[in-house]
Amino acid sequence: MKANIIMNPHPMTLRPTDTVATAADRILKHHLRHLPVVDEQGRYLGTFSVYSLLKLTLPKAVLDKHGLDNVSFVTESVEDLAQRLGRRRDEPVKNWLNIHEVARPDTHAMEVMLLMLHGRTTSVPVVNKTNNRLEGIISFWDVLEKLLGENS
Amino acid sequence: MHGSSEAASAVLFGLNPMWVAAILFALTYVVVMTEKINRAIVSLLAAGLMIVLGILNQEAAIRGIDFNTIGLLIGMMLIVAITRQSGVFQFLAIWAAKKVDARPWGILVMISLVTAVTSALLDNVTTVLLVAPVTLLITEELRINPYPYLFAMIFSSNIGGTATLIGDPPNIMIGSATGLTFNDFAYNLAPVVFVIMAATLAPIYFIWGRHLRATPEDRQRVMQFNEHEAITDRRLLKQCLLVIGLVIAGFVFARFLGLEAATVAMTGAALLLLLANFGHDAEHQSKHVLDAFNEVEWITIFFFVGLFIVVHGVDGTGLLKLLADKMLALTGGDLSATAMVILWSSAILSAIIDNIPFVATMIPLIKAMAPSFGGPEGLMPLWWSLSLGACLGGNGTLIGASANLVVAGFAERAGQPIRFVQYTLMAFPIMLMSIAISMVYLYWRYL
Repeated sequence: MKANIIMNPHPMTLRPTDTVATAADRILKHHLRHLPVVDEQGRYLGTFSVYSLLKLTLPKAVLDKHGLDNVSFVTESVEDLAQRLGRRRDEPVKNWLNIHEVARPDTHAMEVMLLMLHGRTTSVPVVNKTNNRLEGIISFWDVLEKLLGENS
Repeated sequence: MHGSSEAASAVLFGLNPMWVAAILFALTYVVVMTEKINRAIVSLLAAGLMIVLGILNQEAAIRGIDFNTIGLLIGMMLIVAITRQSGVFQFLAIWAAKKVDARPWGILVMISLVTAVTSALLDNVTTVLLVAPVTLLITEELRINPYPYLFAMIFSSNIGGTATLIGDPPNIMIGSATGLTFNDFAYNLAPVVFVIMAATLAPIYFIWGRHLRATPEDRQRVMQFNEHEAITDRRLLKQCLLVIGLVIAGFVFARFLGLEAATVAMTGAALLLLLANFGHDAEHQSKHVLDAFNEVEWITIFFFVGLFIVVHGVDGTGLLKLLADKMLALTGGDLSATAMVILWSSAILSAIIDNIPFVATMIPLIKAMAPSFGGPEGLMPLWWSLSLGACLGGNGTLIGASANLVVAGFAERAGQPIRFVQYTLMAFPIMLMSIAISMVYLYWRYL
């Protein structure tokens, strides 16, 4: 079984100019963890995820590669954190994309599962090799359904 | 001086060894400066060529390596690698910020002092790696521009490092080559370092400090930081403080105990490794010891090793003696004039080139002047001139010292890049001011 059979061919997507607020709203409303971002031609640019939201909420000093690895001394309340995120709600999502490893429509199922494991992600975008268009997205749930469905 | 007895039997192709050594040496400098090839590779390759081309043999090359410098550097790097895990540096920075009620200018002064004191006792790069992230967190909470803080941090790390034997590699090399102790450095350099630190904060206050403002609410958030939570491992912290205390005591009493600095640092590192790993199983110990060893900056260490061999090779050909004589002829053999030439030239050169190869070259050169100034004792003012020039000169440009580049990296990633020209326009005059203060101090105390 290949990626194009497992994938959801009509995933919810974002445009690079969409705001953080729009993205957060969709993530919360639809309980999605990953939203692929595509340009006007449908080309895959990256993924805006719940981790992007975490990064937007955390101070830069924590995100730096040599940054703080312990912030237990910071006693900010949830309201403080909400304010932090609130200040960034109008930024475009394009600055906060994760570039995940992608699958091709003809990638085999086992390779897709390995991409999930290595990338510590629960969804893999399926991207056309020649024109870089997003063909669909495979979530862990799609894979699990196929696995259990075929066993039963 | 090491005579021709140390040289290998024959120089290849019958070339003049002094010229071959001089060309190799100059090439090493140039290639290191271009940064196209990793500096450890350059210095090791040049050292290898020195031997292959017959400037000196392997035995002489090994004798040229100052293992006291190498041992001191590795020992201190190991101690720092373990200590940083305890979170004590974050604790210090937060504690200092709260002591001044999180007022922006007060924080800048306190962070500068913490950086200076830590840099005096530990390596500068490590210090800024530990203090910069907390500083960025605090300025982000206060919603103020981190630039003045990072600028002050560069200066304080280089100024603080000047104060002690172990603060900055030039001092480690000078101390090791001359037998000057931890106490000698503290007694002769720390007084002027205090003055320079205070004088450096003055222009920073006038340019940025007096305009820094933070709202009471933002300051309140910083005041609510609980610095005790920054300490991640109390047992480890106690062990580290104990060992650092013992090591510093070891440096202070080194002459009395008849110990060299490398012995103190390496024994301290071994003791801390023992304490931190005591009671753990073999697998856990292997992992932790390896982690600590991996934190040693091997590129710097091997750069030193190669460089010592290259400089020793050049020294053996009599080239440095020749340069020393030329310099003495220039200054008329006058101690004050020689000290001033060394102070100002080291400062300006160290702002542009790496001060480690420069100091490695200057040490044998200054030693060669001993007969003109009544023996090694007479050279003291020259060593202090070299140290002040080489350490403080590093502030002059963004590439003057490695700590500068590390801070610039943080600034860049935090979206407040420190630009080369913009930095130099501000920093070079402040650096010259610190050298002028050093000049007055040297005249007043020694000349």
